[in-house]
Amino acid sequence: MSAVSASRSRNRTRESCSLAAMGIVNALGRGPEEIWPRLLATDQTHFRRRDDLVPDRDLLVAEVSGPLPEIPPRLKRYACRNNALVLAALQQIEKPIADSIEAVGRSRVAVVIGSSTSGVSDAEAAIRQQHATGALSETFYYDQLEFGGASSFVADLLRVDGPAYAISTACSSGSRALATARSLLALDVCDAVIAGASDSLCGLTANGFSSLQVVSDEITNPLSVNRKGLTLGEGAAIFLVTRDSGGIRLCGVGESTEAHHMSAPDPAGHGAEHAMRDALKDAALEPAEIAYLNLHGTGTLLNDAMECAAIDRVFPSPPPCSSTKGLVGHILGGAGAIEAAFCWLMLAERVSGGLDLIPHAFDGQPDPALPRLRLVPSEGLRVPVGPVMTNSFGFGGNNCTLILGAAE
Amino acid sequence: MVTATVRRWSAWSPGLEDADAWSNWCVAPTELASGGRPEARFLPAMLRRRCSPLARIMLTAAFDCCEQAELAEVATVFASRHGNINESIDLLDRLAERQPLSPTAFSHTVHNAQAGLFSIAAANRRASSSIAAQRDSFACGFLEAMTLLERDPDRPVLLVVGDVPLAPTFARLVEEPPGSYALGLLLARNSEGTRLNFGLQPQHDPTQPAPWPDAIEFLRWYLSDQSSLVLGSARRSWKWERVQ
Repeated sequence: MSAVSASRSRNRTRESCSLAAMGIVNALGRGPEEIWPRLLATDQTHFRRRDDLVPDRDLLVAEVSGPLPEIPPRLKRYACRNNALVLAALQQIEKPIADSIEAVGRSRVAVVIGSSTSGVSDAEAAIRQQHATGALSETFYYDQLEFGGASSFVADLLRVDGPAYAISTACSSGSRALATARSLLALDVCDAVIAGASDSLCGLTANGFSSLQVVSDEITNPLSVNRKGLTLGEGAAIFLVTRDSGGIRLCGVGESTEAHHMSAPDPAGHGAEHAMRDALKDAALEPAEIAYLNLHGTGTLLNDAMECAAIDRVFPSPPPCSSTKGLVGHILGGAGAIEAAFCWLMLAERVSGGLDLIPHAFDGQPDPALPRLRLVPSEGLRVPVGPVMTNSFGFGGNNCTLILGAAE
Repeated sequence: MVTATVRRWSAWSPGLEDADAWSNWCVAPTELASGGRPEARFLPAMLRRRCSPLARIMLTAAFDCCEQAELAEVATVFASRHGNINESIDLLDRLAERQPLSPTAFSHTVHNAQAGLFSIAAANRRASSSIAAQRDSFACGFLEAMTLLERDPDRPVLLVVGDVPLAPTFARLVEEPPGSYALGLLLARNSEGTRLNFGLQPQHDPTQPAPWPDAIEFLRWYLSDQSSLVLGSARRSWKWERVQ
């Protein structure tokens, strides 16, 4: 039975959409071929220390290594690291994107890109030069810094004329970009969406999160009794989202805010709980039908406590869970799209025996004060194919939960 | 084309602080003034103190656009081209001098700070998005509001669009009409109010931009008896028309 007929038999009010192709880059590598085996192997060898981000601190980060693709000269106004990450992900799915543009026409392709940093790392260099010489560097354009620059970059690169915009709701930006993509298709304002997110390491977020005292000196250790905060990462994931039948589907979206605090989650996890329940309702699924949950799991004291409490209330018997923050760091505005991409990979790489789940990367010492979750062990776990959920909870109390599934 | 109803509007710019002032402005529109500081008495003093100038203006439009009982119930979209970039630039200046950042200052410069402040001040736990789209920020904010209505058709969406001028170093890099402003629109799928069709124009015909921001050009049209409005940027044009 296809996902579409399954949805009709359940009287869903909304069709799911297809995540037809996906490109990805982060500290683990570039593209599914490099990243998938390293996810399964719990590869934590890609973290490094940088002394140029926070004064007097050797900050451990999950950085993308090696040169990134060059932004074409005609688009030099968008030439910044954040957009180079977008391009590195986009190039992996050039062919399906080109085919889609050919099929639906340039005016029917939309672009939605999430980020919390945009090109601020390049603006930092420009401003340092201004402090030294009195003038911003000549290679700096405002389009690199403003949030809307990334979506204009992609639209100009692909020469598509549909709606193009950026979403910036902190750590839920990437999930929200996919939620918007599905709605744009449902509203019939376009026939294909290039949707995803990108975030790049920069002084602003490194110093900001350090000042909030939530950055760990060791690799983040989510849900551990020894956890001491998050580790920052960078990367991008870009999807081609269409109305095609079959393939890997975005089946559920849940969203909430918290009315609690500008930089800390509600300790009771009510917002997280609401987002998960809302996503289940949207996908017309029972909690027991979820095969796997990708945690927000940042490794901060507060996030992990409230997220575990919320999961404990939503799921009478929680599915196997893991946080991938210990493998690629916290990619902030990119995290929602990148973790949706991990779920996508899990579904794309499914084997006849089921789904191979990504292990939970931590020191193996769960915090006894937290409700006990079923964490995917380091040797991995294979479960029957089913829908998977991913959580993203952002600054300012902005939460978004997505559910992905494979058409049978 | 997507159809939505405008239930209510609100707008704020220095010297233009209520519906009568805007009606008069529409008769003889002039460039908007910059700066200004609405009182924002609805905010608890502690939150008010931490608001950026833009947050104060956008929250004023937000609270003016809702009845008390609606404040906690609406979904929200905050659209701004620049957001709190002036405050971010202040932080980048500090970093260039290797000065530490204040955690409060950092958390109030994020693009969704307005959304977070509104959620706290209005005790609102509903869906919320924050977007930016260069010269298309108003139209894309309107579109993002349509996506929230698509996901939850019975819940009105409060769209708040606003900007303040960029700090001088960056302002010379950007061409745009002057002025500090915010526009609030309470949008719904089906309800009492003015019904509008909205969508991309199939034919892009670059138009001369108005000497005031798109959101305010929209308001001028909304308060007029013209049947349709086209707003364009370099790549695309958007059209609104009244449903008779």
